[in-house]
Amino acid sequence: MDINIEDVGKGKKVSLSGEIDMHTSPELRKALLKLTKEKISPIIIDLKNVSYMDSSAIATFVEALKSMMSYKGSMRLCNLSPRVQEIFAFAKLDRVFTICKDIEDALSR
Amino acid sequence: MQNESAITIKNLITRYGDKLILKDLSFEIPRSKITAIVGGSGCGKSTLLKHIIGLLKPASGSILVGGRDIVAMNERELNEFRRRIGVLFQGSALLNSMTIEDNVALPIREHARLNEATIKIMVKMKLDLVGLSGFDDFFPAQLSGGMKKRAGIARAMALDPEMLFFDEPQAGLDPITAAGLDELIMKLRDIFKMTLVVVTHELHSLFTIADHIIMLDKGELIFTGTVEQFKFSEHPKIKRFISRQVEEDKYCPEDYFNIITAD
Repeated sequence: MDINIEDVGKGKKVSLSGEIDMHTSPELRKALLKLTKEKISPIIIDLKNVSYMDSSAIATFVEALKSMMSYKGSMRLCNLSPRVQEIFAFAKLDRVFTICKDIEDALSR
Repeated sequence: MQNESAITIKNLITRYGDKLILKDLSFEIPRSKITAIVGGSGCGKSTLLKHIIGLLKPASGSILVGGRDIVAMNERELNEFRRRIGVLFQGSALLNSMTIEDNVALPIREHARLNEATIKIMVKMKLDLVGLSGFDDFFPAQLSGGMKKRAGIARAMALDPEMLFFDEPQAGLDPITAAGLDELIMKLRDIFKMTLVVVTHELHSLFTIADHIIMLDKGELIFTGTVEQFKFSEHPKIKRFISRQVEEDKYCPEDYFNIITAD
């Protein structure tokens, strides 16, 4: 898994690629919690190049979102594959996260 | 293109002592579908399941999963293989001294180096998936039979397995609870595109959930195919199984005489 973080307005765009599984999600957790500690908002997560994502990845996003609630930050997930989107909908996580079609959509919110 | 077969079994033979238990079985288990292994008691269903999940080694034959033969794997490779599958055993196999949360978290703590906060969220997600939100702090003894099975499924799902195996999941459940469990098994196929293998002899459940059926009789494969093909099979044993007819006399008079006069 690769993590690339860049500035977008007041927030940050986190572009992820490769597989996010139980081996790699601790690295993602570290990166996201560093951003939430700095009270960054919005955090836009680009999943376009993610080939596989397991429940530890989803739990990591949930944990980061939870820590953003203290400063009313916004996390936007974009470019979800249809399969991941289906899992998010099934777990009702599409009501918890702001799900965006692509980066343009995420930036316009 | 992805291989349509998740598991390929070739010429599987198993013996307990001199007794032949599985007699040269060859068949495929399709990917992302529910396959039911059926047959009367003692026909070798559970033994077959134990071979597929790597708990028993056959006398000969191969079990190919993702192109690799699990029969030829060493213990370390088998452990890696088992990490990628989930199993719901008949008694759910929950640890009674642990809460449901700790039972589900156990495989994650064993196999991954994750922060406890992440694990806690993962466990809550799994419990919600099986309809047990809010039961984190309960102990197995405080749950009904159906809830224990659900907790067992949550634990089997802990490491996001590619395949899930169930050994008679409806055993001991009332019809409504069993129907709820069937629904959950179908959900796992539809949402997570998992390959599911269910050992069962419950006809209603079989026709509700199965996409593919494998039938054994006294260790022999007598059917492999779709549910429709199974329903319309002309095989006398399949017809008897579907219409719940009692087996014909097992022995001819000579056999019976030999049994009761054996030394």
